[in-house]
Amino acid sequence: MAQEDKNEAELRTTALHGVHVASNGTMVDFGGWEMPLWYPSGAVKEHMAVLTGAGLFDTGHMSVIMAKGNGIRAFLNFAVTKDISALRVGRAGYGAILDASGFSLDDCIVYPLEEDRFALIVNAGMGEKVVAHMRALPGGEDFTWTELTARTAKIDIQGPESFAVLRRCVADPATVFASFPYFSFQGDFDFSLSAVFFNDGTPALLSRTGYTGELGFEIFVPADKAVTIWSMLLEAGKNVPVIPCGLAARDSLRTGSVLPLSHQDIGNWPFINHPWPFALPLDESGSFTKPFHGSSALDAARADHTLTFVGNDPRKVAHGEGNVVYQGEEIGTVLTCVADMSLGRLDGRVVGLNSPDKPEGWRPKGLVCGFIKVSKKLEPGTIVTLRDARREIPVVISTDVRPGRTARKALPKQ
Amino acid sequence: MSQNKFSDAVKYTKEHDWVSTAAPFRIGISDFAQEQLGDLTYAELPAVGTTLRKGEEFGTLESTKAVSSLYAPVDCTVVAVNSAIENDPGLVNADPYDDGWLIEVTLSDPVQLEALLDVNAYEAFLAEEEH
Repeated sequence: MAQEDKNEAELRTTALHGVHVASNGTMVDFGGWEMPLWYPSGAVKEHMAVLTGAGLFDTGHMSVIMAKGNGIRAFLNFAVTKDISALRVGRAGYGAILDASGFSLDDCIVYPLEEDRFALIVNAGMGEKVVAHMRALPGGEDFTWTELTARTAKIDIQGPESFAVLRRCVADPATVFASFPYFSFQGDFDFSLSAVFFNDGTPALLSRTGYTGELGFEIFVPADKAVTIWSMLLEAGKNVPVIPCGLAARDSLRTGSVLPLSHQDIGNWPFINHPWPFALPLDESGSFTKPFHGSSALDAARADHTLTFVGNDPRKVAHGEGNVVYQGEEIGTVLTCVADMSLGRLDGRVVGLNSPDKPEGWRPKGLVCGFIKVSKKLEPGTIVTLRDARREIPVVISTDVRPGRTARKALPKQ
Repeated sequence: MSQNKFSDAVKYTKEHDWVSTAAPFRIGISDFAQEQLGDLTYAELPAVGTTLRKGEEFGTLESTKAVSSLYAPVDCTVVAVNSAIENDPGLVNADPYDDGWLIEVTLSDPVQLEALLDVNAYEAFLAEEEH
């Protein structure tokens, strides 16, 4: 987790910064941006709100890149790991952008807006680097690359009640939400072209994506409308209540839903042997369906293994400092280690607030979870020890963490 | 920023722990400390009967952000541990001076209390720290 930076003059701010400060958000430096770690509600309540109601996240620090030109689909299909050859307008795709060594420069979501115009959402502070990387690839200079970050606000609304709240704020909802499957989107990052509007006329791009594993949307609006839309959503959701949520809750929610953090869980090592095969163009036999930049460097037989783990209580080790011990041997490092406070163990199995088989009156005490990178391929169910200077904790290699996630839930018929 | 709360029934250390000034002698963390740590998720506390020397680490408090060590503010022996914290570590955040107490002790050397900060000295110490 980012440390508080006393040199506040250097930090960038989103259009919602004033709102966070006015709401008594605990502000920290995240990748050069001053962002709320949590609000007075606290990280645990914010995490739980997304599981049972809805939470609002300011994610305007993320970078928006527009790429235009004939052949952009084929170019991006080579530049990004995801096979986007058949990704039609209105469908988003998640993948990684690799360098020639097969290392991940950043992960991204690709949005086909028109056949010759695509957008990429990448992480905070990565816009310039990704554009430079794209331009340097063969043919990269044939396209126009524009960064739209400063003029675009992004607000994530996530949780089982998120759809009902958003629906109240959007114009012509019966049409907009008639068909809105998981990972689809409507609207345009060029807001003058968008056909989706909020009730006050604000143009938007709505994406049924998110970083929490729960039902939700990522909302893109012009930066000068951020405060209006944030307030509109809070007002529309006041009976839930929808609450603002900070980066700490965002981190525990994404880990419990087995999602990686760029430059922590994916990074300067080969993008292979990890829990995100959907980000690679794999066929049933495990071969790649297409060549892509960095693909020839990905050797599954030699690369380390990134694995998911779940522990038995909320105690963590320091990620980035912790080691993984298996049968007395140090075999790797701890990439992410956080507590998902909505979980517990019952007769050894992981149970959560949204588990279908959760017993009456059961309350979660929290479980540590995260990712490790090790030299051995360990099967799910294997117990390893995570160790840092302070403590040792036993954890279990797992294929999943938080049960009963709602991200893919069908929306009610309009 | 939100106002810190204080108790005048305790004395403080610069590590943001407190000790009661009268029996039953309890030890906990200040409101400033719980605010800094954020939501607590787990507490590791010593067994009843453990003797502690001033400055000795006696446990940890786990928050969503970090793990924090607890240091004994005085020489003492543990006579009770707050079991309510086990079920609800958030009690320390909600009520750090009362329901959120951590351990109850007997003091080996009550004179040591005099060296600790009273509420005014601790408040002044915090104000200095902010600059």
